Amino acid sequence: MSMNFSEFKKLIGADPWSQDPEVLRARNSAPEFEQAASDAEAFERKLQSALHVQAPTDLLKDIKKITQQPTQRRNWMPLALAASLVIAVGAVSMVWKQSQQWDSVEAYLADHYSHDGAAVLGHTSDDISEQEIAEMTGRIMASLNASAGKQLTGRIKFIKFCPTPEGRGAHMVVSTDQGPMTIIFMPGTQVTDGEMVEFDQMHAYMVDLEHGSAAIIGRQSQAVRSLEALVRNSLKTDMVGA
Amino acid sequence: MTSDADRTRRFNELAEAYSTDLYRYAMWICRNDALAKDLVQETFLRAWRALDSLKDVGAAKSWLITILRREYARTFERKVPKFTDVEKVVVVDDAELEPDERVERDLLRQGIMKLDAKYRDPLLLQVVFGHSCAEISEQLGISKSAVMTQLFRAREKLKVQMQRDGVTGNVHELF
Repeated sequence: MSMNFSEFKKLIGADPWSQDPEVLRARNSAPEFEQAASDAEAFERKLQSALHVQAPTDLLKDIKKITQQPTQRRNWMPLALAASLVIAVGAVSMVWKQSQQWDSVEAYLADHYSHDGAAVLGHTSDDISEQEIAEMTGRIMASLNASAGKQLTGRIKFIKFCPTPEGRGAHMVVSTDQGPMTIIFMPGTQVTDGEMVEFDQMHAYMVDLEHGSAAIIGRQSQAVRSLEALVRNSLKTDMVGA
Repeated sequence: MTSDADRTRRFNELAEAYSTDLYRYAMWICRNDALAKDLVQETFLRAWRALDSLKDVGAAKSWLITILRREYARTFERKVPKFTDVEKVVVVDDAELEPDERVERDLLRQGIMKLDAKYRDPLLLQVVFGHSCAEISEQLGISKSAVMTQLFRAREKLKVQMQRDGVTGNVHELF
């Protein structure tokens, strides 16, 4: 029994380039079938054109850099953040940890940033109020027995817990006149003050604080040191609770 | 050749073969260019770590799509991304298109953006990756007949949308 026109239209509507012998036979059976098939093919060409999106020119190059990273050392495990923090942020963040220690703070920063640095930068959002971010900052810093100070808090666009070489820390994205930059607060880690670390087209300025440290991370075109004074004056650790 | 070099070569071949299509797919499912790039990079990062588990190179495309879809689901759980003005990231040979064709293409894009995921997903897998209905069925875990119905309806919805917007001259509402 031959295919009726309605059936044929459904089949070519699902797969305009169908090579099914039955479909091909039906196509040649009558002019209206042939016309419907031609129309479907024409629509398909328009659809392909509409879906054509140019990938970023540096995409492939960036992907190939992945092969320069270690493969066996890490064991990222996602854990849910505390529910109150989730509600405050309006999104579920990821806490991750690793089974082995990093060899150095430099290795930690490169590893950490390659894991979610760029993604977190992109998650800064205008739809979370300054007050919500300030509250979130207060809670995270308090649980680290630290504080961020008003000046720094006012610039924070995103904050979450993150692992550091020595315990938990905070990953922040702050606004600057050079675009967003990242600050990693490491309350239990000491670093060489003023050292500059480079990785993956990024650089980080290390700030050794009275207790703990911070890394200010930005693209190589960004003057990361411009945030040094702000970080030194704002990030304080409460040693009573530490 | 060392195993590390071989591994790197295999990975680079996958990246060269599929990164553009994966980006295109990611862009249309998440509709945010920055997130699409992150998704593709995260997909390849996971692929690099798990490369040894890919035994059949013929299954690489579906394997990468599965990784990307899972990563997208995880990202979407964390935060709903803001949509991007697709005109800023879509590059086509405009010079070859007549003005009417450009309007038509833009209407079509608007329609694709508005499609429910259940229609958009199989359509993207078919048009962007050239998946057959059977492959889409396997990828999405639904029957082949359901895939065919959704593909047919997706195209019908786009045609209706184009006709409606075309008639009302609603071109300037795009994105």
